[in-house]
Amino acid sequence: MLTYTLRRIMILIPMLLVISFLVYLGLELTPGDAVEYMIPPDVANTLSREALDELREALGLNKSFLERYWIWLTNVLQGNFGHSTSGGVPISQIFLDRLPATIELSILALFFSTVIGCTLGTISALRRGSASDSLLTVAGMLGVSIPEFFFGLVAILTFALNLAWLPVGGRLLPGYETLWDRLPNLILPALVLSLMMTAGVMRYSRAAMLDALSREYIRTARAKGLPEWRVNFVHGFRTALTPVIVLIGFRLPTLIGGSVIIEQVFQWPGVGNEFVTAVRSQDYPLVMMIALFSVLAMLLASLIIDILTALIDPRVRLE
Amino acid sequence: MKRTLTALALSTALSVGALPALAESANPLSDERVRQAIAYAIDMETIVDTLFEGKAIVADSMIPNGFWKADGLNTYAYDPDKARALLEEANWDEDYVLDVVFYYGDQLTVDLMTVLQSQLADVGMQMTYRKLEGDVVTQLTAVPETGSDTSAVDWDIAYGAKAALVMQEYYNVYMDGHSTYTPTDDQRNELIRRINGTADIDEQRAAFVDFQKLENDALSDIPLYYQQLYIFESDRVDRMGGLYGNAQFNYDWGILDWEIEPDENGKRILYTNKGPIQFFFHPWLNPGLRIGNKVLWDRLLSADGSLVPNGPQLAESWEVSSDGLTVSFDLQDNATWHDGTPVTAEDVSWSIHTALKVPALNGVLSNTFSSIEGAEDYKAGNADSIAGITADGDKLTLQFAVLDPNVLVSFGQFAPMPKHLLGDVNPLEFQQHAYWQNPVGNGPFRIEEVKMNDFARFVPYENYYGGTAKIDEIVAFPSEDNDPNVVKNAAAGRLDYGFTKSVADVQALEAMEHMRVIAADIPYTRSLRMNAYPKQPD
Repeated sequence: MLTYTLRRIMILIPMLLVISFLVYLGLELTPGDAVEYMIPPDVANTLSREALDELREALGLNKSFLERYWIWLTNVLQGNFGHSTSGGVPISQIFLDRLPATIELSILALFFSTVIGCTLGTISALRRGSASDSLLTVAGMLGVSIPEFFFGLVAILTFALNLAWLPVGGRLLPGYETLWDRLPNLILPALVLSLMMTAGVMRYSRAAMLDALSREYIRTARAKGLPEWRVNFVHGFRTALTPVIVLIGFRLPTLIGGSVIIEQVFQWPGVGNEFVTAVRSQDYPLVMMIALFSVLAMLLASLIIDILTALIDPRVRLE
Repeated sequence: MKRTLTALALSTALSVGALPALAESANPLSDERVRQAIAYAIDMETIVDTLFEGKAIVADSMIPNGFWKADGLNTYAYDPDKARALLEEANWDEDYVLDVVFYYGDQLTVDLMTVLQSQLADVGMQMTYRKLEGDVVTQLTAVPETGSDTSAVDWDIAYGAKAALVMQEYYNVYMDGHSTYTPTDDQRNELIRRINGTADIDEQRAAFVDFQKLENDALSDIPLYYQQLYIFESDRVDRMGGLYGNAQFNYDWGILDWEIEPDENGKRILYTNKGPIQFFFHPWLNPGLRIGNKVLWDRLLSADGSLVPNGPQLAESWEVSSDGLTVSFDLQDNATWHDGTPVTAEDVSWSIHTALKVPALNGVLSNTFSSIEGAEDYKAGNADSIAGITADGDKLTLQFAVLDPNVLVSFGQFAPMPKHLLGDVNPLEFQQHAYWQNPVGNGPFRIEEVKMNDFARFVPYENYYGGTAKIDEIVAFPSEDNDPNVVKNAAAGRLDYGFTKSVADVQALEAMEHMRVIAADIPYTRSLRMNAYPKQPD
């Protein structure tokens, strides 16, 4: 397993290089540049072309695409992640500022969605065909199909504006010092995000559980006279966990990349929100680093899933 | 207070006669009758009433309503029959398809384009429309090469706005060698000289009136509507007589006297938006757009709601020589930066030197500073300093090489920066300096706490030379110029003050009992720029 893990990690390097180039190329093909964001056309009308060209030169935007990519890459390889184009803030500082907000929100949502999703999915499978199964199936379908921004807006309207139980958004307000202070701000976005994730986990775990329960070894277990809870949870649920872990694993990157839409709707100052601002302002160094960290998280999650799957299911062998 | 607003008489008399016929070219828009036909074909009254739900004012000139507006202009009231007649007279080719471009990304603009397309079709004109992508500024503002009269842009009509700090900004774009879409002529050039050649208000107005009359026929731009700025406030706020005005810039809004209802802890906190997201924007491009720009720094002069300088601020007095070429300021003795360091004339001098080398400098400020004696040499690197600036203690003297009619307006908007904190800055990377993470200003409020992307807290500066503000604190939540969270934050009681140009936001705010919305006239004119240059062959 050690050799397998090392080999997979080595493969990450060329993959990251290729992906970084593709992301940079994608940005290059996007219309406009950072200067256009800084100086919108209404204002740029009053400035001279020379002034705008000077600004582009100062930001290094007048260099060729390959030249800029090479400069960026060599800097990153030397551990210099660069500065935000628009404000000159070190990328590492932006990451350090934003990451806690995203991790806080994502971990809570991931935890709730996993526990609730697995529980409801298992109940639904064990009571297949019952009213509760139908109800949960409908709820799951709704959860999967309704866009999260809509859920978010309804939640704000209901719990923040109409009932005034919770804040409308944001993470920190003046005077907040502890997690307890900002808990009210965390509840709504975390609940909405976990609701969306719960639906998927529930559907997956129901299908996996049904599949596991139809297997012959379950019948054998019952024939051996094992109690029903042991048949369901030790023999059935353990096998059913494999696809669920894959699904949850692929959500791990949201711990880094954040949930763009939820962060936007709830004015949550996380990485996802920053990513949107960075793309809009064509802030190349910032977009690149957020994209790369998300990709890295995705690749690492994939590796972790493989290892976990092998640990849970002895039939899986890593080669 | 010494104050001499001097009348200057530099203009030459000009009789405004008939506009010489523009040269015929491959571009049908070079025919004045075609441009007039388009103006008659557009029913702006209906568009404003329906599409904009009354949240705009129909325009009959680029110059907004008020002091500078000429009387008796043709309003080009909707008259499709007249439009058809003019097109027939001009032998309009019905197969010609007008290429209309715009740069806004909102749905309202697309809706407007659809309506224009339909109204032009009604008089027999075809048009397509497209949003400019990529280097919008070049596509919009490229000028014909020297010695050529062939258009450097590929569109027929561009829909856009002109947001002016001073009236000259509306017409200086037609200047010889700078005009993207209007072939210049002697008469227009002479008018441009007149509006820029005097600081005398009456003479300036007379020149603007003549210009408007010329353009009323020529229609280099077809003015569509004046956009208004909507200032919103919660019912917790009492301005105590403070003025409403052009909130996008700096004016004497009386913030020191504002009162706000205390919260449950007895604190009088004003909540607003346009706080910093990643850094504080420097105020030399958009002088008053963000809350930090408004409260952290003072200007040499204060201005009224229309941005006309009306009194002292950092400068306790100022003087303009009779020829308008020497301007001197005496700074307040007790003005200090928020770290206690005195504000000196050297700070102002250093700021002008630096600003001239900052690429993103507001156009009006740039014109003023470039007009100072020796500024061009300094910019070109031929001199270490600007010869026309003398700083001595609290006294700053500026010697101008050419008259700048807007010098006082500029100093009503330009915020000097602290040399002792920014002296090491590379002007080309001005915005990237660490200073903008927690700037030290000299205005009525100082920064108490900044959590980037969460909030910024401003508290009254206890040693402010103008007195101490009555409200305890301003809390600014982060947002860009167009804040998508205005409505929900206002509904939740987290916005006591702000301004917007969004029609949808205004309607939602007006529906809230605890909010009031005040429309302010601003020089912000939306128009159709008519490309009258011969176009490049396909």
